[in-house]
Amino acid sequence: MKIGRRGFLSFVIGGAAGTALSPLPWKLTDDSSIWTQMWPWTPVPKDGETSYVNSVCTLCSGGCGITVRKIDERAVKIEGMKGHPINNGGACLLGLSGLQLLYGPTRIKSPLKRTGKRGQGGWEKISWKAAVSEVVEKLGNLRSKSQSHTVGFVSGSDRGTIPRLFERFLTAYGSPNLMRMPSVRDSYELTLHMMQGVQALPGFDFENADFILSLGSGIIDGWGSPVRMFRANSAWQNANVKVIQIEPRLSNTAAKSSKWIPINPGTETALVMGLAHVIIKEYLYDTGFILNYTNGFEDWKRLVMDNYSPDSVAAITGIDSGTIVVLARSFANASRPLAICGRGDGSSPVSLKGCTAVHALNALVGNVNKKGGVWAVSDTDYISWPEIEMDSKAAAGMQHERLDGAGSKKYLFSRYLMNRLPETVNSGAQYPLQALFVSGANPLYTLHDTKSTEKAFDKIPFVVSFSSYMDETAQNADLILPNHVFLERYEDVPAPVGLIQPVIGLAKPVVEPQFNTRHVGDVIIRMAKGLGGSVADAFPWDSYYSCLKETLNDNWETLVDKGFRSDTELMNPTLESSFDTVSGKFEFINPDTGSMPQFKPVSIEGDEKLYPLVLIPYDSIRLANSYIGDPPFAIKTVEDTVLKGKYVFVEINPKTARSAGLHEGQRVLLITPKGKAEVKIHLFEGIMPGIIALPRGLGHTAFDDYLAGKGINFNTLIGTVEDPDSGMDTAWGIRAKLSKV
Amino acid sequence: MDSALIPKGVKRCPLWQFLLFTGAVGIVLLWGVYAMLLCWFKGLNQTNMNDYYGFALWIWADLAVIAVGGGAFFTGLLRYIFGKDALKNIINYAVLIGFICYSSALLILAIDIGQPLRGWFIFWHANVHSMLTEVAFCLSAYFGVLTIEYIPLILENRQIDKVPFFHHLGHNMHEIMAVFAATGAFLSFFHQGSLGGVAGVLYGRPFAFREGIFIWPWTFFLYTWSAAACGPCFTILVTKITEKVVRKKLVKDNAIELLAKISGWMLLTYTMAKTYDTWYWFTVTAPSKGFALMDFYSNNPLYGIWMLVVEIGICGLIPAVILITDKGRKNSMTLWIAVILAVIGVCLNRWVMVLQVMAVPVMTFDQWVLYIPSWQEVATTILPLAYGIILIAISYRYLPVFPNEPELNPIEPLNEEETAVESPVELEQELKPAEA
Amino acid sequence: MKHNKAQKFGMVIDLDKCTGCGSCMVACMSENNVPFRKDESDKFLSITWMRVYRLTNGKPFPNTDICYLPRPCMQCAGQHEGHSPCVSVCPAIATDYSTETGIVSQIYTRCFGCRYCMASCPYHARYFNWWDPIWPDGMEKYLSPNVSPRMRGVVEKCSFCFHRYQLAKEKAFMEGRRNIEENEYQTACTQACPAGAVTFGDLNNPDHAVYNLVKPDHKHSGRPTNPHAFRLLERLGTNPKVYYLSSRKWVRQVGDNYLKNEAKVKKPVHHG
Ligand SMILES: Nc1nc2c(c(=O)[nH]1)N[C@H]1C(S)=C(S)[C@@H](COP(=O)(O)OP(=O)(O)OC[C@H]3O[C@@H](n4cnc5c(=O)[nH]c(N)nc54)[C@H](O)[C@@H]3O)O[C@H]1N2
Ligand SMILES: Nc1nc2c(c(=O)[nH]1)N[C@H]1C(S)=C(S)[C@@H](COP(=O)(O)OP(=O)(O)OC[C@H]3O[C@@H](n4cnc5c(=O)[nH]c(N)nc54)[C@H](O)[C@@H]3O)O[C@H]1N2
Ligand code: SF4
Ligand code: SF4
Ligand code: SF4
Ligand code: SF4
Ligand code: SF4
Ligand SMILES: [Mo]
Repeated sequence: MKIGRRGFLSFVIGGAAGTALSPLPWKLTDDSSIWTQMWPWTPVPKDGETSYVNSVCTLCSGGCGITVRKIDERAVKIEGMKGHPINNGGACLLGLSGLQLLYGPTRIKSPLKRTGKRGQGGWEKISWKAAVSEVVEKLGNLRSKSQSHTVGFVSGSDRGTIPRLFERFLTAYGSPNLMRMPSVRDSYELTLHMMQGVQALPGFDFENADFILSLGSGIIDGWGSPVRMFRANSAWQNANVKVIQIEPRLSNTAAKSSKWIPINPGTETALVMGLAHVIIKEYLYDTGFILNYTNGFEDWKRLVMDNYSPDSVAAITGIDSGTIVVLARSFANASRPLAICGRGDGSSPVSLKGCTAVHALNALVGNVNKKGGVWAVSDTDYISWPEIEMDSKAAAGMQHERLDGAGSKKYLFSRYLMNRLPETVNSGAQYPLQALFVSGANPLYTLHDTKSTEKAFDKIPFVVSFSSYMDETAQNADLILPNHVFLERYEDVPAPVGLIQPVIGLAKPVVEPQFNTRHVGDVIIRMAKGLGGSVADAFPWDSYYSCLKETLNDNWETLVDKGFRSDTELMNPTLESSFDTVSGKFEFINPDTGSMPQFKPVSIEGDEKLYPLVLIPYDSIRLANSYIGDPPFAIKTVEDTVLKGKYVFVEINPKTARSAGLHEGQRVLLITPKGKAEVKIHLFEGIMPGIIALPRGLGHTAFDDYLAGKGINFNTLIGTVEDPDSGMDTAWGIRAKLSKV
Repeated sequence: MDSALIPKGVKRCPLWQFLLFTGAVGIVLLWGVYAMLLCWFKGLNQTNMNDYYGFALWIWADLAVIAVGGGAFFTGLLRYIFGKDALKNIINYAVLIGFICYSSALLILAIDIGQPLRGWFIFWHANVHSMLTEVAFCLSAYFGVLTIEYIPLILENRQIDKVPFFHHLGHNMHEIMAVFAATGAFLSFFHQGSLGGVAGVLYGRPFAFREGIFIWPWTFFLYTWSAAACGPCFTILVTKITEKVVRKKLVKDNAIELLAKISGWMLLTYTMAKTYDTWYWFTVTAPSKGFALMDFYSNNPLYGIWMLVVEIGICGLIPAVILITDKGRKNSMTLWIAVILAVIGVCLNRWVMVLQVMAVPVMTFDQWVLYIPSWQEVATTILPLAYGIILIAISYRYLPVFPNEPELNPIEPLNEEETAVESPVELEQELKPAEA
Repeated sequence: MKHNKAQKFGMVIDLDKCTGCGSCMVACMSENNVPFRKDESDKFLSITWMRVYRLTNGKPFPNTDICYLPRPCMQCAGQHEGHSPCVSVCPAIATDYSTETGIVSQIYTRCFGCRYCMASCPYHARYFNWWDPIWPDGMEKYLSPNVSPRMRGVVEKCSFCFHRYQLAKEKAFMEGRRNIEENEYQTACTQACPAGAVTFGDLNNPDHAVYNLVKPDHKHSGRPTNPHAFRLLERLGTNPKVYYLSSRKWVRQVGDNYLKNEAKVKKPVHHG
């Protein structure tokens, strides 16, 4: 057939017109747009039945109740539990990000045994049976060689059934070396012991106080039970309660306070002594309390009056004497004033002299163990287990002095000094540590002087981590026995430190374990059974679940049902029963040591000439800095003046920056006697000239790509400064310099 | 080799030279196409745009090409509606340039949107209150008109014209071109205007916001006006550049001068209107929202007050004065300067009204934002330029774009044999009866 | 069935109480399936329906002051209801103003990503999906079915947790009620705020807390009559439904632009 040009053209034009008029192009256009609305690579969340589970968040020690929304078997949202005595519906951003930890890429999915060199990331999956056998074999060998005391346990907490199982295990096995990670609680416990003769937790009746003097405590920066503090802070706003914040940097807490008084860092105790001076001089103190319930006041008064006049305190602190006098008067004249200490989020202890000074200030105005004051809270002890029958090996092991020196002659009353462990291990002065178990803690990240901690860990032949996430310590362990995360397990959660009403929470499985993990409680029981003999006998339970249920006893039903149990009837301690000292009174001077609250500067590392600046850390609720790292949601909230790409910003006063020729956003080398790091400059009017500040919680080398490699870990830049009275690490900063790159 | 396709009475460079030239430009074109495909397949993360700078380089280019493409509608208006016959010698080129500008604008829009496959929602789910809807409708319709205006020129190709159907089609289309020119002018008025409205209605952005009448902010009228003023300048500029490149005079001076003169008066009145608008804006509109003039001009080198001076003074008043004076437009040098300044001016105006709008902080705690385009953006922005050059080259080579060319550049007649061989007389005869 | 009286859902954020803790930001992200990327430190590319700005008064040490300012979508009504800056410009009606609830919706499957709405929004409340949202393996398990994840190339923003309104309405309907109670529809950020700084409810309803906190003057585009209340960029006429409370004058002045002779305040600086 011959197709003429004309025919061809008609065909083409007709065909084009026909196609255009047909439904085909319209259909294709429509389909293509629909296709963009359901790209297979964009997930479609499955719908299902909605349910809610009440539990407790254990991502920090805050103890918040949570309600988890589920769709079928998936947890889809964490919310604060309404009506919960601690958080009543509120939640911090870490708690709200919890599901990213549950389902996140940083989880350890099965027991892992190291292959290759430590810390190089070589892992081999092993079975639980093999993992536990390996541990039992190691521990059995050590014990048979009478080396049981060379085994240590590091735990984030020492309260609740899990830490108590660790303790029980170590006792039955024969080691005194259970260590709790440091915090300002250490200082407070020791203070209560020294001044009131009690073994108790500090409690603060914030809800009833009407004047708060905070010596650098980050009330809304993570101090105490964070959500409780947020709520207290709002209640203060409503009730017009005065909050005075003393610190060298305009923290969020300082910004939210009624008044921010900048102070030379490290001189807070001098201010406290100065306030005491004015209060005593002007007879503003609670004479009734001082006369009837205290001992040693006259001696202390002499010390205060001789050394801490407002003028001399002004010279030390940089706060003018007029301000000191006014502050002292308004503190003393308030009806329920309350002074607190513990810098930032309170994860570092303060010196014993400093903490006792603050407690003495509270005692001056008589607000000890009363409404709106500081309480010595005895831990609600719901845990009563049968006595442990120690065999001779265990008894012998327990005779050894602790490696960290707590309870030694030098630091008789300190209970845990985890901060001293690296030094002891490194110096080899005492016996070597043969095995270390870590649970709910990440010492390789959170302890000051990371390098020395790493060195110590290198010396320990066998390191076992119970971490659910690949944190820095797990990364450097020999064996990882991954615990369930809190949304997959039962665990009792005692009231957070600082609270005065007794609350017990119960974390419970919201979802099935997602991976081949095991409850650390079950693992401990298995380890004990594996060791046999008296160690096994100390663990009469067949599982952690039965142990917990038996322990909680009458409370079990309520806890499973509501998620918490709270007694509104407070045990309001009478003043008469508050002091268990020899005198039966509040002691301004410790009768054993003769030590008195006073200002003894904690000098920081570094030569002023070489290092003209002072570097201090700061805490932010948006940056988790304990053993949990920031999940993706949380790190997303970090401002671009704190972190940009892989650089963290160091805050510096514009004046200081100008004299050093530095400008906003500039990249510089931050050098301290302990290390150096490349950081960026952020000019901040709210920081005292001469001081520079870095946030804590960044610079992870472990976890996932959403967190690792961002910024630097403050702890790599700071060393430890041991408090001569307590052995605690009271380093609050370090000298530093900035050099251009 | 391709001489059969080349219009009668004109001389073209050898084919190899032509291919070398278009090939070189074609490489740039391919680079742009590659970038375009990246944007389509990987998404707009290929650009350096962000949530503050959601409109960026190529949107400016889009507005700028539409502005300078305004030469097509305005020349058409003058030629067909107002009967300025002298312009018949430049109208083809004006239409071609317009066609290139508008097809480029549509292409840029197709790259710019985050969901190109849903682009048609703008028609299907049209929001009549949105300036962008108006733009989309008028722009597409006017592009249709330009296509219709461009087709007769294609049909005049020596070979195509030999097909009687096309010959007649072309002839008839020429006859009714006035209708399309009128439609085009109407559509252009609205889409140039609504493009101005795009920025002017942004009452959340005091730098862009303008009062106006009814639903139209003043920028609506200013855009149309400036496009009418500066579009023809661009037509003249491109014509002049083409003449320089091919080293021939292509359009008679009377056409250029007439267009230049009208442009000059349009530009002068536009500049006055723009000055008044600016004055009203910074004395009434902006202060009512708490902004002083200098709040809009940062001390960074890019967005300084110099922009206003350059736009209105140097690129508005100066070219206007040159073009309205006889001497100015007759002198080749000053004419060059005037048209270049006018084109820069209108492009600068579009830049300011799109990009500076994004850069100026509105919330008191916002900061000035700077933006540097990625190579993909630069490539996709250059893409239309390369495409335009190639289309001009092809059109110039094979179509009688410039009716004056043979007259202005007489050549020796082609040898008889060549013509005979090329003319398929039989075919023409064969077709004739059917066409009748 | 008779239609309900028009509601005007709004939010009041007490800046005296807000601690900048960021809970609202995260509550929003987890409630609304907001995606995240490995580096979120470029805030011009980081999707945060709720963003907490950190403002300082610009004064030198030690007179510096900080205020945090959480910024959801303002749900602008414009000068006549529905003439929101963003709604009026969207060419495809992919974002719309509900006169029923006062909420500005966003239909992701309709949006074709022209970003005109972003250019129109002076509050930077709108975010473009420059990338495909990708959840690390396993993490898609926590995605909520109430809010569909957005595809690349479309704009998203705070919806006042509209799905919660829908669920509350559905529940009320099932129980044979026409109206929902104040506590039945609360946004995720309001609920999560540990400081209790955020209040949410119907600005048209004198029984609701939001109404009593700001006492909106509906005859004048809802401007607040509480002297401590203000709205962001009130002078632009966007008519937002998010109000702020502050006892500090400099904070209230940060909310809008003033000419030098109107207010002699130093321009504040934004950090982060
Ligand atoms: N291309 C494309 N388009 C889509 C979709 C899609 O997948 N692709 N999805 C479609 C779907 S599923 C939906 S639901 C729509 C959503 O789109 P629309 O139905 O347009 O609704 P929205 O604006 O999302 O939702 C709120 C609107 O509903 C109105 N409204 C709210 N409550 C009430 C009420 O009680 N009574 C009355 N009378 N009105 C009320 C308000 O005016 C408000 O504008 O978009 C549809 N459009
Ligand atoms: N923030 C906010 N949230 C909203 C709304 C809002 O306006 N704002 N609107 C609400 C409204 S009205 C609606 S309807 C919903 C819409 O929310 P969704 O119900 O999540 O609907 P789409 O976003 O349209 O997505 C539907 C998805 O279904 C998938 N799909 C399509 N066909 C099939 C199929 O046959 N089988 C399966 N398994 N999947 C399929 C596609 O992948 C597509 O992505 O969102 C509600 N949530
Ligand atoms: S404060 Fe602590 S316990 Fe409470 S939600 Fe946050 S992380 Fe969980
Ligand atoms: S959750 Fe509340 S206190 Fe925290 S930043 Fe948001 S509004 Fe402020
Ligand atoms: S804040 Fe922005 S996105 Fe929200 S309604 Fe107003 S203009 Fe639209
Ligand atoms: S980006 Fe989407 S919502 Fe915004 S204007 Fe364009 S189509 Fe409308
Ligand atoms: S109202 Fe809902 S969508 Fe809006 S910021 Fe709050 S949580 Fe996010
Ligand atoms: Mo829907």
